[in-house]
Amino acid sequence: MSLKVQNLRKTFGTKVAVENISFEMTEPGVFGLIGTNGAGKTTTIRMILGIIGADSGSSSWNGKPITREMNFGYMPEERGIYMKTTVLEQLVYFGMLRGMIRHEARSSAIALMERLGVAEYRNVITEKLSKGNQQKIQLISTLIHNPELIFLDEPFSGLDPVNIEMLRKLIYDLVDEGKFIVMSSHQMATVEEYCKNIVILHKGRTILQGNLRQIKSGYGHTNLLVKTEKDISSIAEEAGLRLIEKRADESEYRIDGDEMAGSFLTKLIDAGIYPVKYEIKEPSLSEIFIEKVGAEV
Amino acid sequence: MRQIMTVFAFTFREGIRKKVFIVSTIIMMALLLILTAVPALIQKSETDEPESGAQEPSVTSKVCYYVDENGLIDNAIETLSSKITDTRFEKGDYSKIHEYKETIKTDGNTSLIVVSKDQTGSPFITVTNMDFMSGISSGYAVDVLSDLYIYNTLESRGIDKDTIEFAQSRLSYAEEFAGEMDFSGYLLGIVITMLVFFAVYFYGYGVSMSVATEKTSRVMETLIVSAKPSRILIGKCLGMGALGLFQFIFMIAFGTVCYKFFIPDGFTVFGMELTLSAFTFKSALFTFIYFLLGYMLYSMLNAVSGAFVSKIEDLNSAMMPVMLIELLSFYMGYFSMMSSGSNVLQKITMYVPFSSPFIMPFILLNKDLSDLDLAVSILILVISIVIVTVLSIKVYTASVMRYGKRVRLKDLYKET
Repeated sequence: MSLKVQNLRKTFGTKVAVENISFEMTEPGVFGLIGTNGAGKTTTIRMILGIIGADSGSSSWNGKPITREMNFGYMPEERGIYMKTTVLEQLVYFGMLRGMIRHEARSSAIALMERLGVAEYRNVITEKLSKGNQQKIQLISTLIHNPELIFLDEPFSGLDPVNIEMLRKLIYDLVDEGKFIVMSSHQMATVEEYCKNIVILHKGRTILQGNLRQIKSGYGHTNLLVKTEKDISSIAEEAGLRLIEKRADESEYRIDGDEMAGSFLTKLIDAGIYPVKYEIKEPSLSEIFIEKVGAEV
Repeated sequence: MRQIMTVFAFTFREGIRKKVFIVSTIIMMALLLILTAVPALIQKSETDEPESGAQEPSVTSKVCYYVDENGLIDNAIETLSSKITDTRFEKGDYSKIHEYKETIKTDGNTSLIVVSKDQTGSPFITVTNMDFMSGISSGYAVDVLSDLYIYNTLESRGIDKDTIEFAQSRLSYAEEFAGEMDFSGYLLGIVITMLVFFAVYFYGYGVSMSVATEKTSRVMETLIVSAKPSRILIGKCLGMGALGLFQFIFMIAFGTVCYKFFIPDGFTVFGMELTLSAFTFKSALFTFIYFLLGYMLYSMLNAVSGAFVSKIEDLNSAMMPVMLIELLSFYMGYFSMMSSGSNVLQKITMYVPFSSPFIMPFILLNKDLSDLDLAVSILILVISIVIVTVLSIKVYTASVMRYGKRVRLKDLYKET
């Protein structure tokens, strides 16, 4: 199974919303579409699904153009559920629209509601649920027909920590079940956690893409996270380290490479300071993103 | 087809549970109950009225001051009192005319009659009331005073009483209608035209609101990846139509029961019996067909209106063009009903697809319509529905996922 997107382009009037985006997903997992608001993530997903027509380019699932009849699920960024309808009733409706028969849709909806801890609300009018629970209902409507290919547009936005953890676990479960997930997000830490492959979009243009591990390896070891009981700022300055971020009990520095980190450690030990934590790291996705987007700006 | 039926069933179920549907059904039932109970109450009050001989003299609160400074009309107060029994006539003082007028400004039960001389020396009568709805009938009062003045004048010139009375007598007459106008058919025709108009408007608005709500609440984005926009649109329109039909049939059934129970046998309005005799199988069948076709035509247009808006508060302005077409067509139909002589207007409204659903039920109940006219009218309407549906689906598909800036027809044309 594979998802292939080739040179999709979309303009709205004179504004180019997405400029020739291409990527491929050949194995189950999570693919990340990253970008700031207005970067073109949602437009890309909508073009892939055929919700809006692309000016040029194509997308295919298993070599065939994507149609409504294919087994995919889509959770839009702006949640769309019937507020005045009971939870189970609308889930059954969405399931039936995806080709399920009533009792199949009902069983699947109840199973997913139990899995996400909202089974008790099945006969409740949706508007009476909390936002987090409404989002779970939206997610169930996306997964009710057990799709192979799932599109999640900003799935974590607006969720509280408890629901983020719930969704996190669900995404891992879905990956374990062999699902292909395309997830858009502007939350870099989230994408970094899940995605093997990414595309970074900025103002509709692809500014970086590929395997996240390889991208980060390409940058080498550029960060040093140090936690000590004494103040080490003067030693770090002397060693030529540049402070990236100072937190309550640890500091992160920019380094030129492993050698620099090694000599800094020697200096600390010579000064009688033994670090509690000493981690040489690749740059975070957030740093890479800011660097790339900053270069574009 | 399965998706259309799924959308249809969901729309119908949702609609029937909505407060607006329940409340409107209750209000219509109450109205039907009242309308059918009124004739029974009227008849009951008529039978309960005591014999005319036993009637107590009426106590009137109306007062009319009569001022005739020159004494031009003798016995005026007595004659007016005998002819206009609901008003007490009092002799007024010429010097108080201004005072009477001040009272009349705020008191609708007070009137003033002033008799003065015109240039020829004949009486000139001025009647003052608060407004044209209050006080005494000036026309009738002037007739009474004119008759009295002529009587007095002729009598003073030695004409005998019988001759004067003969000269002032009016010939009796009766008005007959040679045509076959059925009052109940006329009344029913107007009622059904109104009902069709309100049903088409009400349920068309429902379609528009439903589409706009799904679009603005972003449910549409979830729906549109599952079903083609055309299937959503058709399912939704059929669902709302079935809901309207269900309510319409329920009301007709309830109205029939009320009619049977409450309308007394042989009840008449202006001397004409109120019956459902004008309703034949043919007229009922075609009224039903025109309701369905009219609803389909307007619901498609309304769905497009709903698909145009990005914010629900813009819905009314988006619906304005369709509402104007509907109102214009309704009034064209209505005026052609009223102006029975204008066959040209009636022909036009019969064939124009936007007005034929409103006028045809009336024509079917009140005129002899040829089968050819009926067939042509329905054919034009069906062809129009097909064209409007095809166009509506295209516009709906292109506009239903467009948010933000107002959707321009030029852009839609490019996309379709």
